[in-house]
Amino acid sequence: MSSDSAGLALLETEGRVARLTLNRPEARNALSLGLLEALHLRVDEVARDTSVSVLVIGGAGKSFCAGMDLKSVLNEPGGAGRLLGSIAELTIKLRRLHAVVVGRVQGAAIGGGCGLACVCDLTTTHPEAKMGYPEVDLGVCPAVVAPWLAEKIGAGRARQVLLMGGTFDGTRAHELGLATHLFAKDRLEAETEALIERLASAAPGALRATRTWLASMGGADLEDAARRGAELSAEVVRGEEAQTELRARFGG
Amino acid sequence: MILVEHEEGVARVTLDRAEKKNALTPAMLRELTAVAAGLDFKTRAVLLTGAGDAFCAGFDLTLCKDDPGAMAALLKGLSQAMRALRRAGAPVVVCAHGAAIAGGCALLGGADVVVTDRGAKMGYPVVRLGVSPAVTSAMLAQAIGPGATRHRLLDPKLFSGADALRSGLAHYCEDDAAGALARADEIARALAAKPPHAVRVTKRWLSELDGSLDDRVLNAALEASLALAGGDEERGRLAALWTKG
Repeated sequence: MSSDSAGLALLETEGRVARLTLNRPEARNALSLGLLEALHLRVDEVARDTSVSVLVIGGAGKSFCAGMDLKSVLNEPGGAGRLLGSIAELTIKLRRLHAVVVGRVQGAAIGGGCGLACVCDLTTTHPEAKMGYPEVDLGVCPAVVAPWLAEKIGAGRARQVLLMGGTFDGTRAHELGLATHLFAKDRLEAETEALIERLASAAPGALRATRTWLASMGGADLEDAARRGAELSAEVVRGEEAQTELRARFGG
Repeated sequence: MILVEHEEGVARVTLDRAEKKNALTPAMLRELTAVAAGLDFKTRAVLLTGAGDAFCAGFDLTLCKDDPGAMAALLKGLSQAMRALRRAGAPVVVCAHGAAIAGGCALLGGADVVVTDRGAKMGYPVVRLGVSPAVTSAMLAQAIGPGATRHRLLDPKLFSGADALRSGLAHYCEDDAAGALARADEIARALAAKPPHAVRVTKRWLSELDGSLDDRVLNAALEASLALAGGDEERGRLAALWTKG
């Protein structure tokens, strides 16, 4: 990892709980290639540490994650493809992990950030949080998250959510089943800690076996779909429609 | 009996047989299939609705009175219409106001977004008539999951629009039919204003993922319904309907 990237994702492990923090608050933790690279290395560290039972993912600052940093790769040939390939592999890696993954969403989880929230086993948030997949509004196809979201909330609901684009609040995310736990904003941190404590109180072998079994139920098809989704999404981003929309949004 | 209007990228398709609560005939289903299959790139959203106070009461069973082949033609027509809606390049919004029963409820299987109203009557009460709703099972399972599908296809009881929202069969539920129509219209316009290529590719990808483009599965579901069509049990149950008047 380049020294520039090292601080973009922080990992603290204490006993059976590992805490991973997206640490790019000045960019609302937007997923740049550097941040994704840092996340990959941190998750690899957790994967090697079999004493960890629970991985908690959070974002530094006011927001969990503002989404893919498409702006940073707009003028870089192949950049969007690498970004999308990297997020797809990260979702697969999180899914294959032995530990239970908890996402704590404060503020906002948009696009790729909401994709991360979706692939967690359990996701906590608060009613005012802003979540969703506005990809189609930008001429982009949310193809990487589609298989994970369809698996989590059902194909029919995923169809409505992804085609309609836009964002919704934490209450709606909870109704959809995208967030599993909804807490008052000022209780989010404490209640998430209580959840983590409950999870970590389980017998490690039973928790790991159950987690691994549940994650394997979607089989290799889901992983394959996430990878094909990255290719499809990159192809759409390269197209004229997306380029026009993205340049209008980000300039350049 | 199918009305089509184009307005600012929205194709508004109306089942137009209000005096029969838009009961479906093989000709209507063929027409609906042709409309969905024939949409061009200028169409960015489809709004399917029904004239009058109900979306659709189901198949026009009076056709089965003198024609033992009518049920098979209706089932085939329904299956083709659902597929054509799913394959349309533009997203399909269905406004299921008032009632969406049997074949009318099955049509929702081809929708991307379903709007209804709280008091709407919905359901698949056809096993009572000796008819199997298997034809819609694959699309319904993709929409609401296999457990809820067993519930809805085996129990002939009607359920409300509010129930449909809870199970995921509907995505929006308004207070009354007028509210549902207004909401569906608003959604269709919003979809039509989005970048069309991204929407088209996303719809296709979702359909590839959930298997709703897989003709083997859809044909098998249709065959399961066709196996009973025109049979003695169905003829007997339908004949009892006519004597009851």
